[in-house]
Amino acid sequence: MADCRYQISQGAYIKLVLHALKHRSLSVNGLLLGRLIENDGGAAAPAVQISDAVPLSHSQIGILPYLELALIQVEEHFASEGLGVVGYYHANERHDDAELSNAARKIGDHIFRYFPQAALLLLDSKKLQDLPTGKGRDPVVRLFTRDSSRSWRSAGSQGSAELTTKEPSANAVLLDYISTEKWTEIVDFDDHLDDISKDWLNPNLFK
Amino acid sequence: MATAVEEAQLNQLEIQVDNGGGGAWEYLCLVRKLKARRSDKVLKHGLYILNNPRARSKLGEEEFTLYEQVAFAAMDCSRNDIAKDCIGALFKKFPGSIRVGRLEGMFYEAKGAWSEAEKVYTRLLADSPLDQVILKRKVAMAKAQGNSAAAAEYLNKYLETFMADHDAWRELAELYISIQMYKQAAFCYEELILCQPACPLYHLAYADVLYTMGGLENLQAAKKYYSSTINLTGGKNTRALYGICLCSVAINQLTKGRNKDEKDIFDLQSLAAEGLLRDYKERAPKKLSLVTTTLRNIKMVS
Repeated sequence: MADCRYQISQGAYIKLVLHALKHRSLSVNGLLLGRLIENDGGAAAPAVQISDAVPLSHSQIGILPYLELALIQVEEHFASEGLGVVGYYHANERHDDAELSNAARKIGDHIFRYFPQAALLLLDSKKLQDLPTGKGRDPVVRLFTRDSSRSWRSAGSQGSAELTTKEPSANAVLLDYISTEKWTEIVDFDDHLDDISKDWLNPNLFK
Repeated sequence: MATAVEEAQLNQLEIQVDNGGGGAWEYLCLVRKLKARRSDKVLKHGLYILNNPRARSKLGEEEFTLYEQVAFAAMDCSRNDIAKDCIGALFKKFPGSIRVGRLEGMFYEAKGAWSEAEKVYTRLLADSPLDQVILKRKVAMAKAQGNSAAAAEYLNKYLETFMADHDAWRELAELYISIQMYKQAAFCYEELILCQPACPLYHLAYADVLYTMGGLENLQAAKKYYSSTINLTGGKNTRALYGICLCSVAINQLTKGRNKDEKDIFDLQSLAAEGLLRDYKERAPKKLSLVTTTLRNIKMVS
């Protein structure tokens, strides 16, 4: 899907990074919610707007039942807001692991079946590490999209899709939250299943 | 594994110490006892005690336990300089100790100097070939280098000798799941259930893997193990209740058109669904309508 632009809201972006930071020694994953904008104010290329993220799991990512359950509930909830599942994010366990794991690919494939412009975001540990010192506006994730050869391609190669944050100050706000250890407040679907009084929507996270 | 109560106690103590309310040593002891991984807090509070001569002398011989604990925490937080100092202090007090030798090996691991670490462990194993901690470090090193297959191999070998090590079986199961070798993971959980048939977490984990493997037989078995989890937890385990519902949907899809002559299965599904709704009404009312709708959509409730 070349020429498709991807834009992620600050809220979704910060949620996924905080989720990864809460569970530093584990892989984490989550769903991305949003919509496809066909004709974005005259610009030719369609754009995928990622407006929210739901953190899913930090343990046993290859296990199916809770993923399926989360998809059912997340889709049902966000349908009322006109949003659907447009992607998936994943953060690897090891700092030096920049590969897209099999589990991530499989889940991505599943989402692709319902939304061909699906975005797979992989946390970039090196970029995250450099965040406090650099002044970059680039999000600290790598975007993968499915190309015509049915494999997940990293963005930036051959002029394919690119990802920007909707608010240019996203990284600055993220750094601020990191310094106040905000990640302790993030709740994922796993946490919800352990204690249903915890809400995977994280409604009060940014209040 | 710490229980929910123990974890709450730990969190409370952590907040107290963080806010200057004292109790740092109690906190550090509890972390050690529960084997919790709170490296940034341990480093902060442990270092404070170590750098404070009065507090340090109050510990007596426990001072060296603290050095060891802080060394671990420092390595976990990538503060290898601090780890080096602690290990140095321990070496001075206990030269030739295998326990300190292990720390040295871990220090090389923390720096990513795998061959150096390998050398240290080989040397230590020559003297104590059955040292469980060192054998597990070899597994950890393979895992840290991304070599899950080698880690599984080492862990299997370890379990041939130490087959009663439940944590090792659990680690192996999780390792297999991470590389999508579900049948092998199922085997590990079967071993655990045989050893500790009254531990609901193993029944639950086994059911999860069976569901993931799919196929009618596995789904029916998964349903049985979700049921036994519910039995062992007095119906309080949300995952098991959801598991029953998901299994029922999957089984129904696979047996479409065939005679459904197991009437009590229907009761089980609706009981599970009702149990969930009751729970949500009581503890998470905001989510009740969403859960009701989704259960209704998959025909678990009318």
